Order: sequence, then structure tokens, then C-alpha cells
Amino acid sequence: MADALIVELAGLRAGYGEIQVLWGIDIAIPKGEITALIGSNGAGKTTLMRALSGLIPIESGSYLSEGVNLSQASAATILSRGIVHVPEGRRLFGAMNVQDNLLMGAYSRRVSSSELMRDLDRVYTTFPKLFERRNQASATLSGGEQQMCAIGRGLMSAPKLLMIDELSLGLSPLLVEQLVAALRTLNNEGVSILLVEQDVITALDLCHSAFVMDMGRIVRAGSGQSLLADPIIGEAYLGVLRD
Amino acid sequence: MLAAQIVVNALVLGCLYACIAIGFSLVWGVLNVINLMHGSFIVLGAYFAWSLYQGFHIAPWYALAIAAPLFFLFGYVIQRLILNRVITAPVLVTLTLTFGLDLILNNAMIYYFKADYRKLILTPPTGSVSIAGAVVPVDRLIATAAALALTGVLYLILRRLRVGRAIVAVRLDRDAAVLMGVDVNSIYAIAFGLGTALAGCAGVLMALIFPISPLTSTAYLGKAFVVCVLGGLGSVSGALAGGILLALIEGVGSAMIGPAHAITLSFMLLIAFLILRPQGLLGRKGFE
Repeated sequence: MADALIVELAGLRAGYGEIQVLWGIDIAIPKGEITALIGSNGAGKTTLMRALSGLIPIESGSYLSEGVNLSQASAATILSRGIVHVPEGRRLFGAMNVQDNLLMGAYSRRVSSSELMRDLDRVYTTFPKLFERRNQASATLSGGEQQMCAIGRGLMSAPKLLMIDELSLGLSPLLVEQLVAALRTLNNEGVSILLVEQDVITALDLCHSAFVMDMGRIVRAGSGQSLLADPIIGEAYLGVLRD
Repeated sequence: MLAAQIVVNALVLGCLYACIAIGFSLVWGVLNVINLMHGSFIVLGAYFAWSLYQGFHIAPWYALAIAAPLFFLFGYVIQRLILNRVITAPVLVTLTLTFGLDLILNNAMIYYFKADYRKLILTPPTGSVSIAGAVVPVDRLIATAAALALTGVLYLILRRLRVGRAIVAVRLDRDAAVLMGVDVNSIYAIAFGLGTALAGCAGVLMALIFPISPLTSTAYLGKAFVVCVLGGLGSVSGALAGGILLALIEGVGSAMIGPAHAITLSFMLLIAFLILRPQGLLGRKGFE
């Protein structure tokens, strides 16, 4: 059973030095699904992702992936388990061209160059725009193209779980729709996705299940549809007024 | 005639200055460490060439092949054992540390080699050639070509190799590089090793042209600084532009107001650049 979970957290606490942000997170993310993480600014969503990818240490609690304990693991080890973090604000290597950015995604994989080329092709097929701009410095891309490049870079790491922080930030609704369609395709190909998203309707519509965070804790969980129908969620995040 | 000589001299010397500066600029850009040992590394490289020539009659251009791996290892170990302990500290701490290490290294050289100026004199001399009405010694031309080649090698390492991409990535965004599975500490050590190797090799080439003494280390460090500011941090082409500009200013300055004031002129230009164009001629955020 535990092997069917790509991420399983129990009582996870983490923060920045003296400042504790996460106060005991319990989450189970099943393989092959899209899971959304929603919550207001400062709820701890990004911190949770940073803890999951090993950018900040986990103070206590357990962090398992497919039954393997990752609570003390380095970022490189976590990456090698296929848990890949597409950070908030894309964090591309701006002065590098698109293709070099994508290759950086495959940095820690010891694979043949033919396999690398095949994976590059796959990213270019998913995002044809990136192929057109492969020799262009990534800082010169539009916001949407940068997000494609960031996701593509994540794909080059051969993810089992792709964690995307703020997919839609600063993008037009049309672009968000394209990215959402791309994520659906990836998910159909077997990649599990954890999505942190400000746009609650998009997130809940896309996901199989979702968690709601507030003040560093998980305050609600359920399927996307059930949370959309939840009056408390409606009031807190969707601006729906109770009668 | 004089003008041609000044320009040719500047091109010859400028490539060497660029070679001095790129290692310094690489370490500064990637580790955010202003390495005050850089000048002493160059002098050590010069002594290395001098010793090999005195002892075994190995010409400096062959000494490069031995110096590069040795100095790389030297820098790698210094970074791993010493610098890495304070690498996350504010820049003043690393500055103080490299200042202290420089005192040790420089005094060790004074103790071992003495403060007397030495000169590597090739026998038989290589002679000179005439280019566009200017006379250039052949050994200087070789030094220039070697400096250009070293600069090109660094460029290719950073652009074409996997480890080079990782160095650039760490320089551009350390956290994002960690997310790619880059081991930042080993990249720091490799970058510092490369910087040290470039300094050592530049020193080997300098031995062909200038007298050698531990006391010259601050002059080299000063030139590395000025070239980085003139050309801009973070690009090999910037270092080349900065190096040639500095050599040109020194050449013209020497001819017009005397060599003693030429250095003053270059530092005045440094201040002017810091005020008016702090990013330098070709400065950019990547390392290309």
C-alpha cells in the first residue's frame, strides 16, 4: 500500500532557522494522480515544497516516497528518486539558452546522449515553442514560454512526481489553459503532479484530490469537486457569499 | 610608428591581462569570493616556470602543461579544506580569510625564493619579428597566443561541458542549481581550482616577460581588479576587452606621461567606470 504513495508525510515540521512554518503536515499523494495544494499567501505551500525537494531541512516527522525514507535526504538524492520541483518564479538560468536550461534539468542523470536527445525531443514535442527558441537566452522568453521552459527542465529530470509551484502566476488565462492541457497529457503518460496554485478554481478543476493549507497546517482535504462544493472553501478562497 | 608599437604592445599585453583576470572573475562570480591570493598564485606560477627552466631547462610553454593540473589541485584543496568553511559567510569574512592566506603564501615565497627580482632568460633568445612596423619579441608572441588559448579553453569548458554548465548555473542561481541535483560544494571547488590553474598558467607566461618577485603580487591583483571592472564581470569576452583596454591605457599613458603615472591613470579609469558604468564594457549576469 505504501508503495502506491509517491509522497507520504506524517507530522512533518520545517521552517527557516528559528522560524517554524510547517506545524505537522500529514499528506498522502497517490501515484499517477494530480494533487493540488491550495491556501492563501503565507500558508506555507512553498515552504512545504522546499522541504519536499530538500532545499530546507526537515526538523521532525516522516517523509516517505514509495516506502523509502527521505526525511534526511539531500536535494540530489530526492531528485534521483524522481521528485522534481519546478520552483515559484520559474528560476530559469536566465543567461543560458533554452536548450542548456533543459540540459541542466538532466544534470544529475547519468544517461547516454541518445537518451538525452530523445528526452529533449519529448519536451520539444510537448512545447513546440521551446524548440523554436532553443538557442535563445531564457531571460528573453515571454512569461508563458519561461514557464514551459521551467516545466520542460523539470521533465528532463525524469520525474515520477512533478511539483509545480504557482503554475499560473503572471500568465494570461489562455496560456494557463495551454499549460493545464499539457499537464493533463503528462499525467496521462504516468507522471504524478503536485500543483500549488493561487487560482483555486483552475486547480480544483484539474486535480483528482486537493489539500487546503492554512497557517502551516492542512485544514481540509478531499477530491477537487467536493472541495469546490464546500461552502467554507467557497467563502474563504472563491469569494462566494453565504446566503 | 610609435602608435603602431603601442597598439601591438597593448594587444600582446592585453591578452595576458585578460588571462590574469578571467580566473579572478570566475571565482568572484561563482563563489562570490574576492580572492586576494590571486596575485600570489600568479607569482607562484612565475616561480614555477623559472624553477623548471633553471632546474630542467623546460621552456615555459611546456611548463604550462604541468602547471595547469598542479595549480588546479592546489586551488581545489584550498577551497575544500579552508575556504569552504566560510563560504556562506558575508563577503568581508572571505575577504579577510583570503587576505590572511595571501600573507602566508606571499611570505612563504619571500622566505623560500627571497625578495630579489629574478628573470627568466631564454637561451638562446627567440629573437623578434616585425608586425605592421612594430617589433615584437617571439617569446611574447608565444605568451600571448598561449594566453588566448587558455582563455578559449575556459570559454569552451563553460559552454560545452556538463561541468561548465553547472558552474554557470551555480553562478546564475544557486538554489535552482541545487534543485537540478548540482553538488554546489564540489562545483565551488572546481571553479576555484580552475581560477587557480588560470592564475598559475598566467604566472608561467608572465615569467617570459616580467621580472619575478613576491612583491609584484599586488600589482597583478590590482590588474585583475581593474580588468574585471573595465570589462565587466561574468564574460570571457569582457575580460578580453578589459584586458586590452587596460594595456592600451598603460601603453598610451606611459608614452605620454611616463610609466610611473600610467598606473595612476588606469586606477583613475577604474574609479570612473565604477561611477559611470559599474557593469563594465560587456558585463552580464551569465558567464559566457
